[in-house]
Amino acid sequence: MKRIIGLIAVVTTGLLMTVTTVSAQKIVVSMKGPGAGNPFWAAVQKGAEEKAAELGVEVVVLAPPTESDVPAQIAQIEDQLVKGAAGIVLAPTDPNALAPVVDEALADGVPVVFVDTKGANEGVTYIGTDNETGASLAATHICENVAAGSDVAILQGIITQSTGKARADGSNAGLSACGLNIVAEQTAEWDRAKGLAVMENILTGNPNLKAVFASNDNMALGAMEAIKNAGMLGDIFVVGFDANPDAAESVLAGEMAATVAQNPYNMGAIGVESVVNLINGGTLDSVIDTGTVLVTAENAADYQ
Amino acid sequence: MTGFSKTEIDNEAPWHVRMIPFFDRYGILIVIVVMCLVLWAMQPEVFLSWRNISNIFKQTAANGMLSIGMFLVILTAGIDLSVGSVLALGMMTLAVSNAAGVPWPVVLCLSPFMGMLAGFVNGIGITKLRMPHPFIMTLGMLFMARGLANLISGGVPYSGLPDPVRFLGSAQIYLGEFDGTRYNIPVVFLFTIFVYFIFWILLEHTVFGRRVYAIGGNPEAARVSGIDVDRTLIIVYTICGFMAGVAGLIMAGRTNSGFPNAGQGMELEAIAAVIIGGASFFGGRGQVLGIFGGVLIMGLIRNGLNLNDVSTFWQQILIGGIIVLAVFIDVLRRDWGTRS
Repeated sequence: MKRIIGLIAVVTTGLLMTVTTVSAQKIVVSMKGPGAGNPFWAAVQKGAEEKAAELGVEVVVLAPPTESDVPAQIAQIEDQLVKGAAGIVLAPTDPNALAPVVDEALADGVPVVFVDTKGANEGVTYIGTDNETGASLAATHICENVAAGSDVAILQGIITQSTGKARADGSNAGLSACGLNIVAEQTAEWDRAKGLAVMENILTGNPNLKAVFASNDNMALGAMEAIKNAGMLGDIFVVGFDANPDAAESVLAGEMAATVAQNPYNMGAIGVESVVNLINGGTLDSVIDTGTVLVTAENAADYQ
Repeated sequence: MTGFSKTEIDNEAPWHVRMIPFFDRYGILIVIVVMCLVLWAMQPEVFLSWRNISNIFKQTAANGMLSIGMFLVILTAGIDLSVGSVLALGMMTLAVSNAAGVPWPVVLCLSPFMGMLAGFVNGIGITKLRMPHPFIMTLGMLFMARGLANLISGGVPYSGLPDPVRFLGSAQIYLGEFDGTRYNIPVVFLFTIFVYFIFWILLEHTVFGRRVYAIGGNPEAARVSGIDVDRTLIIVYTICGFMAGVAGLIMAGRTNSGFPNAGQGMELEAIAAVIIGGASFFGGRGQVLGIFGGVLIMGLIRNGLNLNDVSTFWQQILIGGIIVLAVFIDVLRRDWGTRS
């Protein structure tokens, strides 16, 4: 019995020590997933915290234990609203499911902005990557490195999703504009194995292919495998999207030509800045682009 | 009928042994009161606010439904791993059929109905197909129900439900204004109390309830004494599935949508609440009030740590620790009980 009481005492003291001072003006940054172990969310968190320090406001960064734990994120926001959060920067785990709690915040007069993923609520500013601009950045890079009139292909993501559609549209517009000949536009559903299979089929039908834009790095890496298997390494210019560590590695190894990086640091920083702006009575554009960067052999080491 | 054996305890026994029946019955309430006091001390202005308390009930309602169904199953010394997936199946059936233009009274019933169906299949599998352990049948259902939920929805979320469908999960009854604060009571809170009351009647005051306890205590003895064990088990698993469907309806109302990831891992949360609530994994022992306490304790931990901005990783660690602690206390209880 004494041991149990001791244990309870230790746990309770531990809890008491974690209590932070309650502040009236606190901004809540609610991310999809925890920063620990995920460089993307770690960068969002860093951006938010550094911007908050610069502006002299307090932020609390929260996340559910996994990106699929929607109820945990809803509960976190409800609990912060009770505590009197001054504003919310939200990357929703599910845009529709989070909509009611966002409405609750707005009804309380607490301003909300979405970062990374656009929510379902009308009139709430979205701060994130303009995927169409990012894809056209990739397309321009292909145009500059491949002779005009060459055959090129696009590996699409799932185009019923807004991200997949924007990347498909941006790359198609960019590649057509500089006079390249788009011979194939097929979906590989964001998947590496499917990227490999779809690329094999495209190569069979189009032996003169000179470049590929893949809407994410997983598909680009799958396509790379197909190209290597076909003995065409070095003949085809492959550009991906996301700048994940595997892709950066591939770019450095001279296999993939380039990839496109989002700017998660900006999402956190601009998110906090924008919500502070709203708290002070300002207004925002409905969409704010956080920018994209082309990642080539020159800067790929930063993304490993 | 309270489930645990009513052994007469010698008055000469040491104090902690004489206290056992008292703790069996009310121990969990004491734990809850202590937790509330600690949380109140940490967040005096927030924790006991009306809005926070109604939040706790809104946040725990779905788990409350899963847990009471799971409790019934665990009383028979079984387990149902499929409830999280069945929740998702019910929720997605509801959301997809609503988007397809099915009238709302039908939509409203679909989630509990699908839950019941899945539970019935579990029951048939365990009894008639003679699966060696409920673990296997319900593990199979975990995958089947999740796959079916994704199949009918194409793996994408559906949103925008009519108000009557959302009523259970999101409606509030306005009580009045007092000192400038508006007091609302969530419908789901009253519903939870109602459901737990029904289960209390069912388990403590009906023949069916006595059979459930008897099967968990000793299935052979139950069979010999003329209980149709298979039939009772099928009913138990059907009820458990039904409650998962009700949880799906509540979560759909709360989020105004059906999303394919719903309920992931919630079967484990329900099992945790049942264990913390003092039910025995070997069946035949536990009380409805204890399960209510178990659900509330999990909700209080989450809420309390959220209010103090503690990372969700700590919440996982703490809930794990409390499960082990709760069972350890049970082990001590048995030890003391036997020695006397």
